[in-house]
Parts: sequence; C-alpha cells; structure tokens
Amino acid sequence: MATLPVPPQEIRARFGPHLSRSTGMRLDTGLSPDKVVKTHCCFCGQQCGIQLLVKENQVIGFEPWMEFPFNEGKLCPKGIKRYLQDAHPDRLLHAYERDPSAPGGFKPIAYEAAIRRVASEIERLQSQHGHQAFACLSGASLTIEKAYLMGKFARVCLQTPYIDYNGRLCMVSAAAANKKAFGIDRAANPWSDILRAEVVWISGANVAECAPITTDYVWQAREHGAKLIVVDPRITPLGRTCDLFLPLKPGRDVALFNGILHLMIEHDWLDHAFIRDYTVGFDQVAASVKPWTPQRTAQVTGIAERLIRQAAELWGTARTSFLMHARGIEHHSHGVHNCLGAINMVLASGRIGREGCGYATITGQGNGQGGREHGQKCDQLPGARDLDNPEHREHVARVWGIDPDDLPPPGVDVYEIFRKIDAGEVKGLLSICFNPLVSLPDSHFVSRMLDKLEFYVAIDFFLNESAQHADIILPGSLHEEDEGIVTSAEGRVIKINKAVDCPGEAREDWRIIQDIAQALKRPHGFTFASPAEILEELRHASRGGVADYYGITYDKVEREYGVFWPCPAEEHPGTPRLFEPGSWNPVAQGRGPFYFPDGKARFNVAEYTPPAEEPDAEYPVILTTGRVISHFLSGTQTRRIGPLVDHCPEPFVEVHPQLAAKFDLADGDWATVESRRGTCTLKAHVVKTIRPDTVFIPYHWAGEQSANRLTIAAQDPISKIPEYKVCAVRLKKADRQ
Amino acid sequence: MNRDDPEQLTITPDGRPTEEQPRWRQDFPIDWPQDEYRSRRDFAKLLGLTSLAFVVGQAWIVILSLLRKTRDRPQVREVAAVDEVPVGGSKLFNYPRQGDLCVLVRVSADEFVAYGQRCTHLSCPVIPRPDLGRFYCPCHEGWFDLFTGQPLAGPPRRPLPYVALQVRDGRVYAIGVGEGVV
Amino acid sequence: MPVPANLEFFIDPSRCIGCNACVQACSECDTHKGYSMIQLDYLDRASSPQTVPVVCMHCDSPTCAEVCPADAIKRMGDGVVQTARKPRCIACNNCVLACPFGVPKMHTAMQLMMKCDMCYDRASVGKKPMCTSVCPSQALFYGTREEIERLRPQSRPIKAFKFGQQIITTKVNLMVPKGAVIEHLDVVAAMAEATVGNRMNEDDVLLAGIELDE
Repeated sequence: MATLPVPPQEIRARFGPHLSRSTGMRLDTGLSPDKVVKTHCCFCGQQCGIQLLVKENQVIGFEPWMEFPFNEGKLCPKGIKRYLQDAHPDRLLHAYERDPSAPGGFKPIAYEAAIRRVASEIERLQSQHGHQAFACLSGASLTIEKAYLMGKFARVCLQTPYIDYNGRLCMVSAAAANKKAFGIDRAANPWSDILRAEVVWISGANVAECAPITTDYVWQAREHGAKLIVVDPRITPLGRTCDLFLPLKPGRDVALFNGILHLMIEHDWLDHAFIRDYTVGFDQVAASVKPWTPQRTAQVTGIAERLIRQAAELWGTARTSFLMHARGIEHHSHGVHNCLGAINMVLASGRIGREGCGYATITGQGNGQGGREHGQKCDQLPGARDLDNPEHREHVARVWGIDPDDLPPPGVDVYEIFRKIDAGEVKGLLSICFNPLVSLPDSHFVSRMLDKLEFYVAIDFFLNESAQHADIILPGSLHEEDEGIVTSAEGRVIKINKAVDCPGEAREDWRIIQDIAQALKRPHGFTFASPAEILEELRHASRGGVADYYGITYDKVEREYGVFWPCPAEEHPGTPRLFEPGSWNPVAQGRGPFYFPDGKARFNVAEYTPPAEEPDAEYPVILTTGRVISHFLSGTQTRRIGPLVDHCPEPFVEVHPQLAAKFDLADGDWATVESRRGTCTLKAHVVKTIRPDTVFIPYHWAGEQSANRLTIAAQDPISKIPEYKVCAVRLKKADRQ
Repeated sequence: MNRDDPEQLTITPDGRPTEEQPRWRQDFPIDWPQDEYRSRRDFAKLLGLTSLAFVVGQAWIVILSLLRKTRDRPQVREVAAVDEVPVGGSKLFNYPRQGDLCVLVRVSADEFVAYGQRCTHLSCPVIPRPDLGRFYCPCHEGWFDLFTGQPLAGPPRRPLPYVALQVRDGRVYAIGVGEGVV
Repeated sequence: MPVPANLEFFIDPSRCIGCNACVQACSECDTHKGYSMIQLDYLDRASSPQTVPVVCMHCDSPTCAEVCPADAIKRMGDGVVQTARKPRCIACNNCVLACPFGVPKMHTAMQLMMKCDMCYDRASVGKKPMCTSVCPSQALFYGTREEIERLRPQSRPIKAFKFGQQIITTKVNLMVPKGAVIEHLDVVAAMAEATVGNRMNEDDVLLAGIELDE
C-alpha cells in the first residue's frame, strides 16, 4: 500500500528488531529437556545436523548431533544461537492489518477475517485486471513441501504466471550454467570427494564465513597434501593460508577461467579421452579462448601473470581436483558465463564423475537446492521440469488433476515482476520467505514499487522490512514448528523435524496457503492434512523428471542420514555422485552419464563482458557486497538474536589503506559511500586484505544501513540474477564523526 | 609425576622435589586427589585421635576406679593425743588424704566424734558446738547433730561423713570413713 | 568420573577462521550458562583476518592455583584445572594477573573468577567439550593422539611453553608444523616477531599479486 503506516521508529519500537537473549529456563543449569529433537539448521545450505532441546514447548538450547555425517556435530554461531528465535518477543502471534492509528502501524485482527480479506482482494484484482494482476514471491528457505505448494498455488489456484523466488538472487546463474553444460542443476559430487582432491579451486566463495563447515573438508584435503587456490578480491579467512591467492578484480572471473583454459591447451594439460568420449563443443571453446593469453588475462583480471601461470599449472597437472564457486562469480550481469568458464576448466581436465574429482556450486540458502527444483521458479515445474515443455506440462497437470492448458505460461523473474508493478500490470502481491526491500538491488525503487501495489499480503514470523509496507500480514511458522524435507548443497535430501508448536494464532505456512485457497473457493488440490501428504504428491509430480524424488520418503531419509537425489525408486539408494561413467539417467537413457540425449556434457563459449557499471571519473571505486558469519541473508532472524548481534552489530565498509589515504580515512572513521542510486554512511574498516580499487560492504542490514541502496539492478540476460558484486561508487569522509 | 601417589605432589613450579618444598604446599595441595587425601587423612586423623581420646579416657576411668578400691581399704591414722584435746574442744585433721578436712570433737572425757568438716550443702567448714550438741554452718545457718552427723536445720540435706575412731593407749586414731565420700 | 586419559585437547591456531562458533557454544555449556569462557581475538585485523581462540591450557602446575590465596582453584586427578570455587573466591585478581596465557577473567558483578574448565560436565561423561564439538575448521580438536596423528600428518602436538626462564607444561596440546625443530614454544622470543607473517619485510601478498590496471 502507500508508504509506511507510521514512522519507522514506531514500527521498530513495537515489532523490533529487538534482541533476544538467554533468560529463564534457557539459563537453568542441569535442566532435563522434555525432548531432544534431531533436525537441521534453519540457515544456510550446508544444512548441518543439530539437536534441539525442548522443554515446556520452548526450545531452550541445542546439543551437537555427532552422528550426522555431513557435519559430525560441527556448527557455526548462527546455528548455535538459532534457538533464541523461538519464543521471541517480536514474534507475530496474530494476523495484522495495516492501521496508522494502531501502535506500530498494524492492528491485530482475527485470522479468519484476514484470510477473507486476502481472498476478496485477490478475487477483486484478478476479476478486474486478469489473473496476472496478482503475483507471488516465495523463498528457498522453505521446506520442499512448501516450495512445491507455492508453485502449485500460483499456477493452479491463482492461475497467475507471475511467481518467482528469492533464489533468483542466489542460485540461478549456477543453475542455468549447470543445465547448459550438464543438463542437470545439482552439485556434481558429495563433499566427501573434496578430501581426495589434489587441487581445490575456490572462486568467489567466502567459505569460512558463508559455508563454515566446508572449511574442515578443505583443510583436511590440505592435510593430505592438496593445494588450495583461492580467487577473491579479498583475503578471506580461507584465503589466508591458501597455497595460491589470486586477487581478482570484481567482474572478471570468466576472463580468468578463459585464461586458465588457454594455458591448459597451450601446455596440453587436457584429458583428450574424456573430451572426445564425454563432451561436445570443445573446439569452439578452444578457439574462443585463443585470444586469452596470460598477458591479456592478467591485464583484464588484475592478477599478476605469474600467479595465473602458477594456478594453471597446479590445476592442469593435478590428477584429482575439486572446483567450487559461489555467489562471488554468480552475482554478475554475466554470471552464467562466469560459471560456464569454470565448468569448461573442469570438463577440459576430465576430472568429474569419479572419486576425488568434483565440481559444485555452494548453494547458499537452507533449501536453495530443493527450492529451485519443484516449481516456485517462474519457468519451472516439479522435478526440475520446464513450464514451456508440453510433455512436462502434461505429466504435472495429470498429477494435479487439471487440464494442461489451464497451466499458465512461464512467468518472469522477480525484478521483472517489480518492473511490471511499475508498469501497472501487477497490482497485488503475496510474499513468503522473501524480504525484497533488503535483498533486491536499488532499494529505493523496490520501496516505491511496494507502495505502488494496490494490495500486498506478507506471510512471515517476524515483521520484516518489506512487510512493513503490507496491507495484511499473516503469522507463519518457524523452521522448528513444522516438518518436511530439504535438500542440502550437496544434493542430500534431509528431514526437518518439528520441535515445538506454533504459538498464538500463528500456523504452518502450508495451512495458511490452503486457507487462502479455501477462502477463494478454489480448494481443488489444496486439501493436504500434513506435509507428509504433500510429499506424497510431490513424489509423483517429480517422478521421471531430472530431479526425481519418487524414491524419497521421510523414513528412508531419517534412516540413512539423508538420500541424494535422483532417487527414482524406494529401493534405489540415491545418487551421491553424478556423471559416473556408465550411469543411467532419464534424459540420456544410458548413452552417457550427462543429462542430454547423447549423454555428453557441453562446452559452452564463455564470453567476457565487463560489468554493467564500471568505475569512472565520477564514481571511481568498485563496490562489492557480501556477508559476515554472524548474520544470514536479510537479517530478519539474525538481527533479532542478541549474541549474534553482539558479534557483528552493524555494517561497515572495508577499505584498503592506499584507498583510505586518498580520502583521509582512518580505521573507525565514518565514511559516506555513494552510488548513482543512493548513499550509505558506514564505519570504515581500513584493512590490507582487500584490493586497493575495491570496497566491501555486508548487506544484512535494512534502511539506512542497507548496502542495496547502492547496488545496481543490472541482470544477467539468461539467469536474471542481479549484479550485486560490482557497481561504481565514490567515497568521502562523512561529516558525522 | 605420579598423580596416583597421594604422597607425592604434582609438578612443582620450580621442579624441585616434594621434600624441598615449603610446608604450605603439602598442607594446601592444589590437586584435588591430594586435597581430598589431605582432607581424608586429616579427617581420619581426627577420628582416630578422638577415638583414642575416648579409649584413653575410658581406660583412665577404669584405672581410677581400681585405685579407688585400693584407696578404700581403711587406713589407720593417728589424729591426736587424748590429752591434746580438752573436753568440748576440737581439732582439725586430714583423713583419709591430705585435703580431706575433718574435725575431731571431744564430747566428754572418754567420748570422741569425728566427721568430715565440709558442710554437705555448699562445703563451708562446719563449726562444732558441743555445748549445743550440734555442728553449726554459718554460711547458710545449717545445723548438724553432733552425735549422728544428720542435718537438723537449714539447707543441708545429707549427713556429714562419719569418721570411725579408735582410742588406744592415750591416742585417738581414725580408722575408716562411713557413708559418703569425704 | 574422570576424563578418559586417552582423550586430549589439541589447538591449531592456524586453522582458526574467526567464526565465533566456539565462543557462542561455550556459553551454552551447563556449568556456566550465559557466559563464554573463550576469548577470540584478531591478531592484527588491518593485516590479516587471522584470529586465535584462547582456552585454558590446563597447566600441569597451574600458576593460577599456585597464587590463589583462598585455595579456590583446584586441579582434578585427570589434569583438568577447575574454575574458581564460588564459596572460596575472593575476587582478588591474583590469578588473572598471574596466568601466562591470560585465561582467567574476573566477573566483578559476581565477585568470581571464571575460566574454561574443559566443559567438565561434558568431558567427565565422555562427551566432547562444546567448543571442540562445534568448531567448523577443527582448530579446536578433542580426541585421541592416534586420531590427531592420522588426521594431521603435517603437524605434531607440543605441550611445553617457555616464558622467560620458566618452562610451563600443559595438558592442552598446541599443534606445530611437523618439521619444526622445537620442543617448546618460546613465547618471549615470539613476541619480538611480527604478529602476522614470518618475515618482517615480506611482500604484501595481495598487493604483490595485483596487476596494474588495464
């Protein structure tokens, strides 16, 4: 609706973020919990196993789960303190309606009344302006059951083409590149293959802060003699003791990959047999990297030539290897090409599909993998099927009991949805597990668009900054209040278990969606009594697709500490490692291990294009954004947990001493960072561990502290991912000191 | 370093052996087993000593009572010469042991009586009043019969201890005590 | 029950990634809920993201216990040095000043020194201390010598530190490179070296790797 109902400080006073700390039962020593629930962390894609201690329907603490094989008890601080989000003072216990006269700007209303209002608004907008006038935003931290339900809800209940999810800001570049190269979007190997790699190459991934448990895998590989190559514009904790550190200029990843491939070809560090038998397209790619001489590569990437040669030699001559990348190379206007360049390097080496030979993108969100497979993406159907493929539509429509022609066509990505709000085509929005105001680039634009909507309903457990613009807020469930399955970064499907009941009027998200469907008098297909029932249907909907979950049941997942998909039958043990020679898949039908009709992987030409906004005279510094260990995504949860905020209370801007000197900035001074889209005043951290032409800001904060006030909405043409990692800014010492 | 041996201190900061360490290191050991051993030993010592004290005490009582038996065999002691004490006069003497004050009274020419002199009320020395046939205790106006030692008036309730006498060859001998320890 | 003698604590500071999991998990331990006994510090953030966790080293001859005037600090038979006993501690700060590793911290409001006790409530029943259970990089490790030898072929454990003239031996092991020819860590000598980097005049790794602009 129109701007905030009351000034932001009033909203904050009523709805937070307030900090929760251990009090009461959580401080009692020697307390025996009523139950100990084995489940997984609600945060990142590592999906560490953890046990939650429950007493009197409150989560009072945790206990490491030593037996879960992926992390063996290890955890990061977010997982350890996660339980403080339960029984939180800011928890939304009721449905709320926007009301400027109420304290905090929102008045609690009866849940049923809220649902009725939502349904009537959807009905009104859709009948007046067409089905596409209402859009859905969903998220990848939801369980697979809920992600699946959201996709179905949009297509079958709302019959709108406009649904997308927050993975658009996360995994889509890697997803698109993987599909182009391998025909399937999943980590190629389980993490255990890292241990056998002779060379571990990590590009654009701050592993120590964003996927901490992976650190031990990498360090263990080094204990056995592996060499670690880290490519990053900053020396991160992982890069601190790596064997080769390449201080890449942001936005030039594909140039580096092409340069490495050039040297591989020059020195014949290639697996010719593999290229011949398992790939197509090598010659074209080889021709495309001819111009990428070491000198040119050094010039473009900003890395010294000798380091490029050393990296190429280490990579080229290894017998086993593991290449990983994350948003560092994916959050670009040519993110897909960046990933393709990396994949070319892997394919040319032939080191994939066997023990110790691996490749993976490190999925960021808890269910970033599962959440990008079962239909909440704008062009996707369950089982990683395509919305524009007639056979796929046929199969899924049959499972859903509808006519395939009733399925809407593919929609558009989330940023395009916001542009459609601007154009007046989309007038209503439902969001869940997504905080676009903090997470999307160019916050001022997003804020204006949220205000432009005629009706906005948000489902959440805390009042996030986007929901402050909503008309109706529905009280959703926390991770520990629901059960379901989630797929980790490795491709391992694991079980989330319920620990406590939803408080107050809050209820499981899937119940809320179904209640809306009921109120819309379109309940067909939305009468599930439990997540188990949803999974049952999902199994059939995904069956035969690339992401085949047919053989996955709760029981099997818990018994075997997770099952790697594809798992086409209940007797099937799952598929930890993909692309093993001789393996079968439904696309190749035995002609090869890759998911194309001929069974061969594709080399794709990876073109270098500079970032959308390069530094210039007016804005001479590169801004790159990222994360810190203690916070997660838009901070809706972690900014409400006391000990995590203690560790990292506010954002900052990392500046190299050489750059700081130009602006008379000392460590701890306030600096104003300004881009063409907005400004941000932050404390400067003057450190030598970043390129002198680049500054870094973590993005977990909102409002004036939000890094996305500065970032640019330039998107990759294929994946539509925004270019968070590069834009142009200028610095100055702030007036306030 | 042997943590199992409670006699031995663990590694000392200067490395010198236990024997050369100051006493306080042994008295206040840092290591819990030694501390416990110390406490246990101290407690055991306490128990032992207390028990020993009780045993010794009991033994002492037994010895004492044996000695008393010996003591209680009548000793004969000369108290005075007959001519020493006029009729109606008295003489103080110690019987059976030094400190047991007694008083001898010559009631008539050939009659002597003797009793412990401690008033049975609060041990004041009683004064013989042969003229009245009584002993008088001035402290609280107590009166005893001169011939039987029985209390007659005042606070005393018990009789004065009776000393048996024998007169032989012009001498008066004490030969035993009656009821009541003197 | 004593801590099993074959399980030992090993620290490898070079593996520390500064994530703070140990600090957060420590405050979840039953013995001292709400307070973390681990300090995690940057050595020199301007130069490097290197961090080091400080846990009690459980010395064989604990200086903190030696100097405690109230006999409040005890060491168990298995070598774990307990934190100050509340009935005895007089908050005199002797131990805080005396510990060569800087471990004990005085909680003035409670008038009590508190320090790491190797999660004795967990270790004495065969569980691992909290910090070692959660450490994502296993800079803090708890297990047998055989395990650490198998897992870390490039390092070896030492447990002797030299402070000036005094050698202090500890229960907690420190991992040093396999080829390092030292039997103890000479702390005073190390203080003279730069915190970050082996050589005083070493090139800045990042700047040395940068090619001038296109």
